[in-house]
Amino acid sequence: MNRRVGAVWGAFDLQLVTYAALLLCFGLAMAYSNTATAAVGVFESGSVFLRGLMWAVIAIAGFLIAAAFDYHWLKTLTWPLYVFQLGLLAVTLSVGSGIGGTSRWVSIAGLQLQFSEIAKVLMIIVLASYLGGRAGRMGSLLSIVGAGILAGPPFVLVLMQPDLGTALVLGAILAGMLYMSGASLRWLGALALAAVAAFPFIWTYVLQDYQKARLTAFLDPLADVQGAGYQLYQSQIAVGAGGLFGRGLTNGSQNAAGLLPVDTTDFVFAILAEELGFIGALVVIGLFVLLLWRILVSGWRSKDPFGTMFACGLATWILFQLIVNVGMVIGIMPITGIPLPFVSHGGSSLISLAIGLGIIESINVRQGRAEW
Amino acid sequence: MSVFLRDQPSIGPSRIRFLVFGLAVVLAAGALTARLFALQVGASGHYTALAATNRTVSEPLPSTRGLIYDRSGLPLVTNVASYSVKVRPADLPESRRDEVLTLLGSLIGMDPADINVAIDSNPGSRYDSIRVAQDVDPTVANFIAEARQELPGVEVVVETRRRYEKGPLFAHILGYLGPVSPDELPDLRDEGYLPDDLLGRAGVEAVYEGALRGQYGSQLVERDATGRRVQVLRTEEQAVAGSSLRLTIDLQEQAYAEKALKWGMSKAHLKRGVIIVMNPQNGEILAMVSLPTYDNNEFAEGISAADYQALLKDPDKPLVNHAISDQYPPGSTYKLVAGTGTLADGKITPDTLIRTAGYLTLGGARFRDWNGVGFGLCNIYCGFGHSSDTFFYQAAAMLGIDRLGFWAKKLGFGAPSGIDLPYEASGIVPTNKWKLDTFGLPIYPGEVYLAGIGQGYDAVTPLQLLNAYATLANGGTVYRPHVVSEIIRPDGLIQAIEPEVLGKVGAPGALKTMRRAARTVVVSRHTYNLVDLPIVIAGKTGTAEFGTPGPSGYLPFHNWFVSFVPKNPWKRASDPNGYKAIQRGDSELAVIVFSYNAGTVGNSSTEIAKYFYQLHFGIKKDYRNAYLLKRGNYYRLD
Repeated sequence: MNRRVGAVWGAFDLQLVTYAALLLCFGLAMAYSNTATAAVGVFESGSVFLRGLMWAVIAIAGFLIAAAFDYHWLKTLTWPLYVFQLGLLAVTLSVGSGIGGTSRWVSIAGLQLQFSEIAKVLMIIVLASYLGGRAGRMGSLLSIVGAGILAGPPFVLVLMQPDLGTALVLGAILAGMLYMSGASLRWLGALALAAVAAFPFIWTYVLQDYQKARLTAFLDPLADVQGAGYQLYQSQIAVGAGGLFGRGLTNGSQNAAGLLPVDTTDFVFAILAEELGFIGALVVIGLFVLLLWRILVSGWRSKDPFGTMFACGLATWILFQLIVNVGMVIGIMPITGIPLPFVSHGGSSLISLAIGLGIIESINVRQGRAEW
Repeated sequence: MSVFLRDQPSIGPSRIRFLVFGLAVVLAAGALTARLFALQVGASGHYTALAATNRTVSEPLPSTRGLIYDRSGLPLVTNVASYSVKVRPADLPESRRDEVLTLLGSLIGMDPADINVAIDSNPGSRYDSIRVAQDVDPTVANFIAEARQELPGVEVVVETRRRYEKGPLFAHILGYLGPVSPDELPDLRDEGYLPDDLLGRAGVEAVYEGALRGQYGSQLVERDATGRRVQVLRTEEQAVAGSSLRLTIDLQEQAYAEKALKWGMSKAHLKRGVIIVMNPQNGEILAMVSLPTYDNNEFAEGISAADYQALLKDPDKPLVNHAISDQYPPGSTYKLVAGTGTLADGKITPDTLIRTAGYLTLGGARFRDWNGVGFGLCNIYCGFGHSSDTFFYQAAAMLGIDRLGFWAKKLGFGAPSGIDLPYEASGIVPTNKWKLDTFGLPIYPGEVYLAGIGQGYDAVTPLQLLNAYATLANGGTVYRPHVVSEIIRPDGLIQAIEPEVLGKVGAPGALKTMRRAARTVVVSRHTYNLVDLPIVIAGKTGTAEFGTPGPSGYLPFHNWFVSFVPKNPWKRASDPNGYKAIQRGDSELAVIVFSYNAGTVGNSSTEIAKYFYQLHFGIKKDYRNAYLLKRGNYYRLD
């Protein structure tokens, strides 16, 4: 039984906030660059940069509220939050809009929201609550099955949008959290093998042709340079043209020529690497490593298994998206449409991440005397 | 990392798993960094060069399409400048598509739905420009060119389009251009075509596509952030202009032919008609008119789907060149085949008499002569001149179906003539083998009778029939008809289209006899007062039944008149009937007229041909018999 005690704000992790804020600044700088080269006034209403600023302000507010909120309530509210998560995804499927027959966004008051991003942080809360509650019994297969049953419906709903990238992120979060929860390695290994065995079936019956084309394009971008390989080819040119020091903010040729589609979202790292060079890219990757370190430290220190599990889930999420997004831009991962955390322009993703960090801080500041 | 060594997590994951996770983070970051280093520091120069060529794009430089002139050098097709609006889907943000297309639609007066259709039916990729409108008003074009922010992905380019100076008069000859279809794109792309290119779809534009198009060049172009062209940096490869064409068709002859045909069709209330004029000495087409026609400028200006559907659905098929693309029963004009065959094979001589009668009986069926009583004992001049059916039933039976087919093919029937126009029908020459292949049955004797008089299975195009009589007129040489006389290359070199001999009939005596017989048709007044004209005309009429009987119990019929005149056509006192002149085989003018579903008192085709000869030779006196063109139930005038 946890006694609820006041927060110890001295335990607030300033480093964590700093690294996240710096990454956010990189994202805003890229939004600025994009806006400036598009010959639209940077502060003109509706510009990418202004919208980025607005989302940042909302995200900061979300972070502060989450940090101030006692995270223990999340355990109490697990089931309502789970239902809320499924509700968001169901709404997206029924009224959402997207490109080419997909349904990914829901428009509310003129803002386009991608509920599947919010679903990621909710998924981590639900799984942390469940796995934390089963601490000590993690050796049993039942824990793995239970977690799988919880993650299944959101996974399927996201896949139906269809949004392969987000579904993969949900799967990665589940796998990472199960591993860190102390689940039986033998069973996890067996499941991993089963997943590999099921791959040919999924390839044949589940994946759409365009998805397959995107997944295989990275193997040889030039094979279909006007189609699926186009973005990969252009983004590698952008990255390579950046060199050691980059061409300078707003000077990227690929950015200016508008040759790179989704250059403020999924492919933002390509523009970043061209304009800020290898040094800039290295700083961004370094910031991610530092941020992940601080999140893992919070999880390590938490005396509450929920806190540990939540931190591990958040770290898995950020790490997976980092690898897949940057890997895609530099041509070693398939195209999956997964954004780069904090840097890619996109309100829903940023708010979801900010709430996650806020919960980490809430965990940090509510550990001190919890065991008294 | 000291924190991990100092404490243990209270419950849950082991120290090892935290270490593994930490290691995964470091390894992932290391791998990404290593790849970044390789791209950005290792191979930077390579990609910098690629990026530079990427902002400057090599764009195709269209060539100027060749022009088309009539025989005398008057331009029939010219190129005019036109502002086209194009959309490049890759530069059109999906979220703003509706807004942009609505604005664009209101500017160029187009339904946004039609623009969407144009974009979605684009055969190329998202990175290819799609033409959504042409002939845009210059003021609107300027506005669109300036409104880059409001209309991302929309561009204005100056292109040339075709203008057909004479429109409907030459539509079936010249044809029109149409867009590349998705199926053709892969092949055409290899030949240098772009997804929004136009290529010849009908007429000379289609057959001479390769010569007219020329060769596209390329130019280096700098583009701005929205993908629009900022400036042309340099021409990499000059475009080679297309060659121009000179037709064998004379504008004046074509106008005369159309005038004569239109007169006859309106007097006789005909729905479809054809007139073709040809030089039998070399296969040059001097005029070719198929009515109804269409205005190919509608295609050049971008025909709307509704207008195109209307043309396609018109029962009289204005898009079809009936002169070459449809085949019809030739009727009595086909008696040329049995006549030539029996003479050439020695079955008859010009003096052989054959008994004609009101009808012949075969297998219990009666095969009538058109006048119901026959013409008594007839030689070939009498039989052909009066167009006796019973004469030619017997002639056909003497030859047999395969020998009849042999001579028909010698005269060019049963195969496309090879004219330089697309969509030519091949006609039908029935033989035993043909009927076995087609119906699995042998030819019946009655069918041989019918084949001899151009009924039954016989089917010809008007051009084939004209070419057969041109062969008769020139003494036995089958030429490939053609409508283009010269290809004029952009460097001024002229490539003349030489007459091409497809075959020789090889029975000069028989043909000489048949030329006299064709003159007998006119002299016998079978064609009324055609013999009174001051020129010597030989020819043959035809009345060809088709379809199913009408309310009166009679079959509907087409009528034909195919004719030719000697090189010097004017009558001379020394040759009162013109037999000497017509037998020389030096004709340079042959004319065929075809009246579809005629239903007239007399032979409308003969009257139309007569009017054309009057116009062509400037004969002042008018010999036309308008009363023969009245609607009537007179049946089987032959």
